Amino acid sequence: MSTDSAQVQPDNKTRRYDRQLRLWAASGQTALENARLLVISGSATSTSILKNLVLPGVGHFTILDSTPVTARDAGNNFFLEGTSSIGKSRAQEAVRLLLELNDGVEGQADTSNLEHILDSNPSYFSAFTLVIAHNLEPKLLERLSALLWADDTLPMLVVVTSAGFLGEFYIQFHEHPIIESHSENTPSLRIDKAFPALQEYASSLDFANMDPTEHGHITYVVILVRALADWKAAHDGKPPQTYEEKKLFKEGLQSMKVKFDEENFDEAEAQAYRCWTETKVPSDISALFQDPQLGTLSSTSPPFFHLLDALRKFSLEPPHTLPLTSSLPDMKANTTNYIELQKLYKARAEEEKEKFKSLLSHPVDDALIDSFVKNAHGLKVLRGKQYGTLDKDPAALASAILASPKAGATHLALSALARVSSSSPTEEELTAAAQALLPPGTELPEEFENAVGEIARSPTADLPNTAAFLGGLVAQEVIKMITKQYVPIESYCVIDLVETWTGII
Amino acid sequence: MATTSTDWPDRYYDIDQILEKPGPRTDPDFLAGDGVKEFLRTKAKILVIGAGGLGCEILANLALTGFKDIHVIDMDTIDISNLNRQFLFRPKDVGRPKAIVAAEFIMNRVPGVQVTPYYGKIQDKGDDYYLQFNLVICGLDSVEARRWMSATLVNLVDPENPESLKPLIDGGTEGFRGQARVILPTITSCYECSLDMLNKPTAFPICTIANTPRQPEHCIEWASVLEWPRIHGPDKKLDNDDPEHITWLYNLASARAKEFNIEGVTWSLTQGVVKNIIPAIASTNAIIAASCCNEAFKIATSSAAFLNNYFMLIGTDGVYSYTFEHEKRDDCPVCGGSSLDLPISSEMTVEQLIELLIERQDVQIKKPSLSSDSTQIYLQAPPDLEAATRPNLTKKVQDLVAAGGEITVTSRSLPFSLSLRISYT
Repeated sequence: MSTDSAQVQPDNKTRRYDRQLRLWAASGQTALENARLLVISGSATSTSILKNLVLPGVGHFTILDSTPVTARDAGNNFFLEGTSSIGKSRAQEAVRLLLELNDGVEGQADTSNLEHILDSNPSYFSAFTLVIAHNLEPKLLERLSALLWADDTLPMLVVVTSAGFLGEFYIQFHEHPIIESHSENTPSLRIDKAFPALQEYASSLDFANMDPTEHGHITYVVILVRALADWKAAHDGKPPQTYEEKKLFKEGLQSMKVKFDEENFDEAEAQAYRCWTETKVPSDISALFQDPQLGTLSSTSPPFFHLLDALRKFSLEPPHTLPLTSSLPDMKANTTNYIELQKLYKARAEEEKEKFKSLLSHPVDDALIDSFVKNAHGLKVLRGKQYGTLDKDPAALASAILASPKAGATHLALSALARVSSSSPTEEELTAAAQALLPPGTELPEEFENAVGEIARSPTADLPNTAAFLGGLVAQEVIKMITKQYVPIESYCVIDLVETWTGII
Repeated sequence: MATTSTDWPDRYYDIDQILEKPGPRTDPDFLAGDGVKEFLRTKAKILVIGAGGLGCEILANLALTGFKDIHVIDMDTIDISNLNRQFLFRPKDVGRPKAIVAAEFIMNRVPGVQVTPYYGKIQDKGDDYYLQFNLVICGLDSVEARRWMSATLVNLVDPENPESLKPLIDGGTEGFRGQARVILPTITSCYECSLDMLNKPTAFPICTIANTPRQPEHCIEWASVLEWPRIHGPDKKLDNDDPEHITWLYNLASARAKEFNIEGVTWSLTQGVVKNIIPAIASTNAIIAASCCNEAFKIATSSAAFLNNYFMLIGTDGVYSYTFEHEKRDDCPVCGGSSLDLPISSEMTVEQLIELLIERQDVQIKKPSLSSDSTQIYLQAPPDLEAATRPNLTKKVQDLVAAGGEITVTSRSLPFSLSLRISYT
């Protein structure tokens, strides 16, 4: 053992980020480090969000806030230093203290006025990847969201609203394709459509005259491929179909045992459904083939859609599946049999990847192709709407509330709060504002009373616990958007910390 | 007045909106105003177990919400891999005790808050210590420590003395997932009641590791479980935190993988398998810690109903959460009162019974000692009693305990004993 330990041991940066690299790997980390965030306001909620993005190493953040620290800010914001911060710039104080968390992160305080920027320098925003706004005044929010929505090269916008124990957030984005969704589905082993090399290998084995130890170590994959071929030969080329046939097939597997304790045959029985569950392109993936981007594919289309189009073409040809992946689950086997099988899968996966590549109408980076093929069973394309669309459509809002009354009622109460001018509105004022968002005569959901009462109780409270809770949730979603890994929300995420639940509307 | 000398006007402007007025779901017994503020800010005493990923967040939230007398226990020192989320620590703090550094940081940042650290184990403290608190919040990554804390607080309850019932709020995270729960010892489901909800740890059969490795993990286990003790002897223990030890294992595992044509052994995987590393990020800890502290705030102030009793969050695919009441188990060995019915084969030996207990999800015991009313069946310690009871290991349970008889199971890792009622099939 002469390997120099300095060569294999991770460097300090890798050690620091070890616990998160195990989730989003180096590719996710690079995306995070290349991201530039703009956060509008240095409120307790804003700094709570930022803390969770500075710690994992986001590249850059700017806090845009022209206000000085007040006595109440100094009481509820961890990234201010008590009374000694009062009167100083809230942006500067928060940036200074947030930067202490990670010297790999760049941070800037901007004490300009947002309204002024919107009036005179709208290109200001193009320097950022993503903009986060907390409890922003409705008129400015409307202008900001319209500006960012108008051009899809401008940053995504995360709108965060909170009052007391209640809150919600929304991500405004046009299109968000995901390759690494970290789906819990596993790719098919294609036992029902065994590729030629696998079929040959399974047929070549002489089960009957095998050494008993060897017999106990044949992989279930090979057992099933062989048993299915034998079954089909005796049944007009059809797999077991009825309940009776499936039972018979499983009994056949058990009767192949030469010793009662051969666990590989028990595994084969447990996995037998793979013989009669046809491997096809999963329906949510074939739905992606209808994507409008494929109809207008050009050299300027994002690589994802060139890959998706190649996948569509691939699936049109037999065996009408996604490309094979080489990842094989662990199974009862000795090393030789398992590695032999793994080699067959790897070789075939490589062949199919070449085939896939030949269908690409535009060159794409090899690493991206590898990742796309490996994750093809979990691909997603999300399409968003402009912030505020739901609240401008009374009928759609009413039906969304009907579908999820608790989250809907809370969203409605928060929307009402944004529409009243008083900073301490009554329940009646809020209820009237909510009613005005819905078609005339719509009955408010039962749950509305709880939500509106809570809003009237604490309309301007940025509670530390609510701020921290939203800070965590928003940061999770921002990380998912930036890394393009895992699946972010597609609409409002609403929280209620009285009963402690989250909901989607 | 509900202020202390360090408070300034408007310090609690946001929180006071909640404390000065009830909401629609607030208990009618809530006394809005100065009384509740005074209790929170001058009387409430809260204990935080763990100053790690959750602990750092919990301490900051409690301090900001107005708890002024906070105690924290943690037995660990700071490692560089903590810095991506344990935001009270800086690179210069690596190697120092977490509890002490965290307490210093909070007291510096949030004026007027007293944080009393204890650098050591929860097991070092006795009932009198735990009785001084109004509430306990656990932010731990160890199942064993949680079981100990939960059982200790259940045992503390004296029906004659309502003050002896200490609500326990427990949080836990793993990657983008987490959970927070409120336990009212003896009244609601305790930690032990939900033991079967834990994922079963991956265990590799020894014969796979020794003879038929297929995965990189099998090669790593071979290096750590079989080769380390074989080559280093019983005296040199493997230290998971020593990078040189991990490198040694990595080199051995790589060579074995190469020999068997297995791909994928890396230093990082080696460390992950050996230390059983669970991915952890700041954002998930923030969500769960906030939820724990929010429950503590609601319990301490009655300003809103508190969680009944389990909140589970999954953030990998959208934001999914589930809030539900976890039911108390009548046969819970800690809070249930009745013994656990265990039907076993009449052929089962004592040794097999011990293996069964170690494996069962709802028992999960390490090194159990077994006794019945009349017999010491098998004792792990002291050595002479172990030797004296060892011959029983190969005996059938049936020959030692009659059908319907009870076996008492104890273990040094648990502050309670488990009662089994045996029947034979």
